[in-house]
Amino acid sequence: MVEQRLSVIADTDLDRAGLERELEKTWGAQPGFWGMIATVDHKVIARRYIVTAFVFLILGGLLALAMRLQLAQPEARFINPDRYNQIFTMHGSNMMFLFAVPVMEAMAVYLVPLMVGTRNIAFPRLNAFSYWVFLAGGILLWLAFLLDAAPDVGWFAYVPLAGPEYGAGKRADIWAQMITFTELSALAIAVEIVVTVFTQRAPGMSLDRIPLLVWAMLVMAFLVIMAMPAIMFASSTLIMDRLVGTQFYNPAEGGDALLWQHVFWFFGHPEVYIIFLPAVGMVSTILPTFVQRPVFGYLPLVMALIATGILSFGLWVHHMFVVGLPRLGESFFTASSMAIAVPAGIQIFCWLATLWAGRPVFKVPMLFIIGFIITFVIGGLTGVMVASVPFDTQVHDTYFVVAHFHYVLIGGAVYPLLAAIYYWFPKMTGRMMSEILGRWAFWLIFIGFHLTFFPMHILGLQGMPRRIYTYQPELPWGGLNLFVSLSSVMLAAGFLVFFIDAVRSCVHGPKAGENPWNAPTLEWATSSPPPSYNFRSIPVVEDRNPLWSRPGELTVAAGLRTDRRELLVTSVVEALPHARESSAPQSVWPFWAAIATSIMLIWSMFSAWAVVWGSMPIAIALIGWFWPKGAPEEES
Amino acid sequence: MSASVSRNSSIMLPAILLILFALTAALIAYLREPRQYRTDPPVSEALEGMRLMPNGIAGTPPDVYFALGKPYEKTAYDLSQGKRLYTWFGCAECHGEGEGGKGPSFLDGWWLYGPSMVSIAASIRDGRPHGMPAFGSRITIDEIWQLSGYVKTIGAYSASVNAPARNDDRQTRPAENRAPAASLFDEGPVPVHPDQGPSP
Repeated sequence: MVEQRLSVIADTDLDRAGLERELEKTWGAQPGFWGMIATVDHKVIARRYIVTAFVFLILGGLLALAMRLQLAQPEARFINPDRYNQIFTMHGSNMMFLFAVPVMEAMAVYLVPLMVGTRNIAFPRLNAFSYWVFLAGGILLWLAFLLDAAPDVGWFAYVPLAGPEYGAGKRADIWAQMITFTELSALAIAVEIVVTVFTQRAPGMSLDRIPLLVWAMLVMAFLVIMAMPAIMFASSTLIMDRLVGTQFYNPAEGGDALLWQHVFWFFGHPEVYIIFLPAVGMVSTILPTFVQRPVFGYLPLVMALIATGILSFGLWVHHMFVVGLPRLGESFFTASSMAIAVPAGIQIFCWLATLWAGRPVFKVPMLFIIGFIITFVIGGLTGVMVASVPFDTQVHDTYFVVAHFHYVLIGGAVYPLLAAIYYWFPKMTGRMMSEILGRWAFWLIFIGFHLTFFPMHILGLQGMPRRIYTYQPELPWGGLNLFVSLSSVMLAAGFLVFFIDAVRSCVHGPKAGENPWNAPTLEWATSSPPPSYNFRSIPVVEDRNPLWSRPGELTVAAGLRTDRRELLVTSVVEALPHARESSAPQSVWPFWAAIATSIMLIWSMFSAWAVVWGSMPIAIALIGWFWPKGAPEEES
Repeated sequence: MSASVSRNSSIMLPAILLILFALTAALIAYLREPRQYRTDPPVSEALEGMRLMPNGIAGTPPDVYFALGKPYEKTAYDLSQGKRLYTWFGCAECHGEGEGGKGPSFLDGWWLYGPSMVSIAASIRDGRPHGMPAFGSRITIDEIWQLSGYVKTIGAYSASVNAPARNDDRQTRPAENRAPAASLFDEGPVPVHPDQGPSP
């Protein structure tokens, strides 16, 4: 043991500059193209994820503008009905599966390891694999759109419309397989987050000292782990019904068309919270910084996150109130749908109390958070309205519902996300975003959003159904539709300003220091952008707001080796140091495994034998991935 | 130094991939096949112009059929429309789910008037002796072509990925995308049509 200690380099043996040099040598990415492909640095992968997801946001936004162009006047002929069906399906699927969920997970991949004070995410190679799989799924969907073979069955692809009899061609298969891609990548990240949060927290970061964003990401990861298998089952059985003639959704042979709706929404409703919980975590983390006091009600906020997560599995039937389920079931789901307003309300009041007791500084992230609170409360109120069966029966599949879910999704998730981008941009790039452009972006987005989506409530009450490609001039919807279309240009302009600001600030933004906002959490304790090893030494945490309580130097833990990638593993509850654990070095094999997986998944839309033959390259890639290096894995 | 490499790479890589993606997309966008919901009247008229052999068996499809890219026997949408028309116009009354009945079977690999599209389309449009009615006055010509393409897939011996999948009904045979003719063909002790030469 002693001899072994002599041959390795521990961080205690080096001075500060030497330590940084050694760590960079061990953790840094290799240069060149293959170095880029092979990297397993959670920050690099998360940045790729975020950039890719925002590209999908732009593409999805362009589709939305195309739809608004078509609906701006009655009997318009810009888009034919078939293309319109593809466009609204693409818009929904793209925004849910290629933007909202991945971008939230990407924020988790970037921030969780930094906030818990560790050097890399757990299972870093799985993380790289996850990104490549996600990218392949996105490319699949968009290539299909360009080939005029995009799904045209709505983003929830109800059978029998999406089933073998009515969903001609490969359109529905492409939808289902895109789901499989994104679920695979989401599940991979969820597992990484749970393990990172449970085992890699900095010493002293007991459960009651975890930053709220990390709590939110943890609950989100559990939701992913429990909800996503349902949709994987759904998408796989749909493909099997269509390809090999299984009878899962065929009532004539003992299947059940309603099974699809149950399985889809058993995933689909938690999905909303998979998007929303990270967003509230962002709010709970950003808000205290801009009022410069600890958040009010840490415990109720954590409990509300967990309660929302649990309750989210008991609401799915409220999407199905008009399919003719038993009254008792409908009443139960009405009650549970209204009950989820309770944890949401608790969080709102905790934030209001935080604002009340502090001295808010209205920088751009703070503006987006105020915008979030206003918009989300309105969306929550219409949510309570549609939770009631008689009301829902009236407005089901109308623009009222379209307005409601854009209020909760854009108001509830995109505003906090934009706040988070403005807030963590200095950490990710080392540069500040523009305060002036940011204000322009906020006001354009905030006003543009409300002008675009509020009239949709009225259109819905006037009976305008969703997913129609045009309407007749005699119907009383023309004026409001034109107004909505014009307002959507304002909303789009807001996003344009935001993207201009982001791209410009990447290059020309003023330099940010380590902690430009004077924030209390650990990610601000390292340089901006953080080095490949995140922290020179692993910090030791003594309370919830380590950078406020110890503004100078943090206490650190020492004794980790620097000549190999090594992390500190701590206990689940108390975060007592347990062991030194190696972290996987970079590898190109996750990339090849993702390519092999993509080939298998795409091929399997055309032939069931793909599962057999396509699994062989995957096996080869996995063998390469896990090839033993000859070095002892465990030595702690 | 290597930190800056990794920072550039994280922006460069998605950028390179997206450009590649856009180029591929633009290239493939040439190949796309938009669905034709309503055939142009001139095309429709031209589709009538089958040039059959004098005995009404086999011949040359109209030129416009090639100009369109032979859609009716290979695009999934047209084939699935054909399947729907098969039900709507009561083809199953005589031909069953392809196993035949009053009319000949499509699953046995035998085509009384030959397996070409133009023969099948002519059979549907003009009718045939011994009970096959003429549908030319009941459905449009492009629907006849869709139906012909579908009828061909029932008897196909190798499955096409574009062939329709099962219906949401009771199942009597594998769906068209699983080549039912190939799995169900059974010559039996006596060849099916000994008068017409050796079996396929």
